[in-house]
Amino acid sequence: MTTPTGLGHHASEDDPRIMLDGQIGQYEQVPPYPPRTEREAEFYSLRDGEMFLNMGPQHPSTHGVLRVVLKINGENVVDLDPVLGYLHRGVEKLCENSDYHHVISQIDPLEYVSSLFMEWAPVMSFEQLLDVKVPRRAEYIRVLTGELLRVASHVLFQGWMALDLGGLAPILYSFIERDEIVEMLAALTGQRMLFNYFRIGGVNGDLNHEFMSRLGDWMSRALVQHEANIGLLNENEIFVRRMRDIGRLDGETAKRMGVSGPNIRAAGVPFDVRRAHPYSVYPELEFDIPVRGTGPAGGDSLDRYLLRLDEVRESIRIIDQCLHNMPDGPVMARLPRLMRPRPGRAWAAVESPRGLFGTYVISDGTDQPFRMKIHDPSFVHLQLVGMLMKNNLIADTMAVMASLDPVMGGIDK
Amino acid sequence: MTAISKSLGQVTTAGKVIIPLLLVILVVGPIATYLLATVAGPVIVDVLNSNLGIVRFVVAITGVLLFSIPAAFIIIYMELKVIAFMNLRIGPDRVGPKGAAHSVIAGLKVLTKEDFSPNAADRTIFTWAPVIVFLTSVMTFLVIPFGPGLVGAKLNIGVLYLFSVGGMSVVGLLLAGWSSFNKYSLLGGLRAAAQVVSYEIPLTLSVVGLILLAGTLSVDQLAANQAGWFTNWYVFRQPLGALIFFIAATAEANRTPFDLTEADSEIVAGFATEYSGMRFGFLFFAEYVNVFIISALMTTFFFGAWNAPFPFPHLTVALDPGSLGIMLPIAIAVGPLLVTLALAVPFWLIRTKAPAWQALLAGFALANLLAFGAIGLLTYISWDWVAGLIWFFVKSFMFVFVFVWMRGTFPRVRVDQLMGFAWKWLLPASLLNLFVTALAIIVVKSL
Repeated sequence: MTTPTGLGHHASEDDPRIMLDGQIGQYEQVPPYPPRTEREAEFYSLRDGEMFLNMGPQHPSTHGVLRVVLKINGENVVDLDPVLGYLHRGVEKLCENSDYHHVISQIDPLEYVSSLFMEWAPVMSFEQLLDVKVPRRAEYIRVLTGELLRVASHVLFQGWMALDLGGLAPILYSFIERDEIVEMLAALTGQRMLFNYFRIGGVNGDLNHEFMSRLGDWMSRALVQHEANIGLLNENEIFVRRMRDIGRLDGETAKRMGVSGPNIRAAGVPFDVRRAHPYSVYPELEFDIPVRGTGPAGGDSLDRYLLRLDEVRESIRIIDQCLHNMPDGPVMARLPRLMRPRPGRAWAAVESPRGLFGTYVISDGTDQPFRMKIHDPSFVHLQLVGMLMKNNLIADTMAVMASLDPVMGGIDK
Repeated sequence: MTAISKSLGQVTTAGKVIIPLLLVILVVGPIATYLLATVAGPVIVDVLNSNLGIVRFVVAITGVLLFSIPAAFIIIYMELKVIAFMNLRIGPDRVGPKGAAHSVIAGLKVLTKEDFSPNAADRTIFTWAPVIVFLTSVMTFLVIPFGPGLVGAKLNIGVLYLFSVGGMSVVGLLLAGWSSFNKYSLLGGLRAAAQVVSYEIPLTLSVVGLILLAGTLSVDQLAANQAGWFTNWYVFRQPLGALIFFIAATAEANRTPFDLTEADSEIVAGFATEYSGMRFGFLFFAEYVNVFIISALMTTFFFGAWNAPFPFPHLTVALDPGSLGIMLPIAIAVGPLLVTLALAVPFWLIRTKAPAWQALLAGFALANLLAFGAIGLLTYISWDWVAGLIWFFVKSFMFVFVFVWMRGTFPRVRVDQLMGFAWKWLLPASLLNLFVTALAIIVVKSL
């Protein structure tokens, strides 16, 4: 294995090959190996006035450990190449080596901002394999906690968006909301971030008093607080101008690229897994699917930002309905101690705050999944950066990236 | 002898150095003082007298250098605390009362950190760039009038000096960005160059109207022109100029929303990316000294400098304590006691349950308050430079607060918006301001 300077890992200081002061500036070509594809050859050839800017993996605003190699000409981004894999843990393989219950805790840290949805999809696919009927109360609790977490995720997105554009304050206001939600979920599940709450056939534990009282508190001021947070940013001329007409994505392209979630709805396509492929108790609930950017040019970063704020309102509506319609009954189905589903395959998808999150499971009759494919929306959305960021300024890459709202845990799996 | 050596053995190493030094000071100090006063004194006074210009300059430079660091400390602490309150945080609260010593400790910290420079950096330039940045900001202080007569150098082209020296800081930023051998630094340095050069033009033009009105380039004279009621302040005669100056000065000092040179979400830390230790400290201090300078300039040019917003009687109180004769020591001895007792009596009468010592304590505190108030008022009335300093700092720190407030509120503009704003809006607006001012002056003169 070689480092980009062409030296082995054990090069000591008196190694003659190490760069001395006199050789400064004689850097080797990037990358050190001959180009493997046509695209790579084109990307790594510099024209006059261009240079590479290695943004990441340790960069304040690449949302984790994404590395983007920007080819810049002055302040203009001519071309770019996202490099993934710095957070790769092999989650799919880990899941295939755990039994069905363990999968939930293995997949939980995948997308650490909205981890309940990461549990929801595999749990649903396992239930299909096992032919389990989930109690209605458990379904309602799942929807309730899930929508709460969606609010937390979108509110956090609002803060990150502002932070990436240079505003310092909104992220802290966002964290107030998120902390309140996360703390109430901690009262319910026992953990703040990686809840590990959903179980095959239901949820782990019924609603308790502390959760309900905190939720009641929060619901009494949620909409007012949301409006206040919106007022912090949406009337700020600088903020709006930074995002308008940046990273336009039209509906056709979005469909072609496999975009889902708020990003496709902000491109004018009303696609929402909760309505398109209904699951859980969503068919019984009333909520709208906000759509923006319906014009022929599609939606820009501002549309994607505003759409998420619209969704917060819808989520609060859903939570309200869940609280009113919550049925009595058990929260877990009766299940055998050792689970060996019949051989077969199952696909289940949920609408996570980032889009369609799905798992495809193949069972071979043992107590572990034979194969588990994870479809993560952030990974799909990252395809867009090459298209949307090109021919913009360096500062716009932040606006585009933040508005796509990727989470690197899910991308690198 | 053994006792002395034994006790000396228990003293730490530092003590072993300090104790002989103390002895030397006790013996040599008085002798040296006596010799200085009798033999060398007249000679020194003569030399100082004959080189008064140089002495004044050295004193001014030392004063300005000594002043700039505490000013930066105060502004850093203010920024930490004010933005913390705006963000619903507590902010620094560990060192000193309410964390007031936090920025001082942070300053000491940068002194103790490793002085690292990248392998491929251009060492000479890398070392000297922060010095240039810091010195250019501090040198601007020289012509700022802190109060009547409290100005480092009474230059008759003070305004020109301000802009020329202030514009030099971009050289330091550019050198810092270039010599770091880092692409982020390079981008930051280039952004700084483009930004400062662009905003220099509206910044200077916005003051030209003011200069036409005042008919002088001396900052000291500009300040003196605004005496009297607050309606004499130039902001009421040059509102557009003041606005343009405020915006352009924000960009000059690289403050939010124009802090593109160190946009942390885009180019990490801009020109300061590779700097550490006290070199970074210089860049950091320069930024905050700049904040104070633009606030001070805002105050000086447009908000009445050191003048109070209303005319205040500057009396010279003719007190001759010597004429009291024997009554003076008696008054000094008895006066405080009597005042304390007089103020304690009401407390004791109102709250009969309170013990006498509490009433006395309250009386003492009140007497102190009264005395300090009286002395303060006397100082304010007698010396106009005290009043000037107070008003100058109050007004300047109000502007510092505005800059901190902006930092807590605004996102960052984009680089093309920044340049577009300078050339498409600020430059025409400042030219319009200049044109209207000149026209008005001609019309008024011909009438």
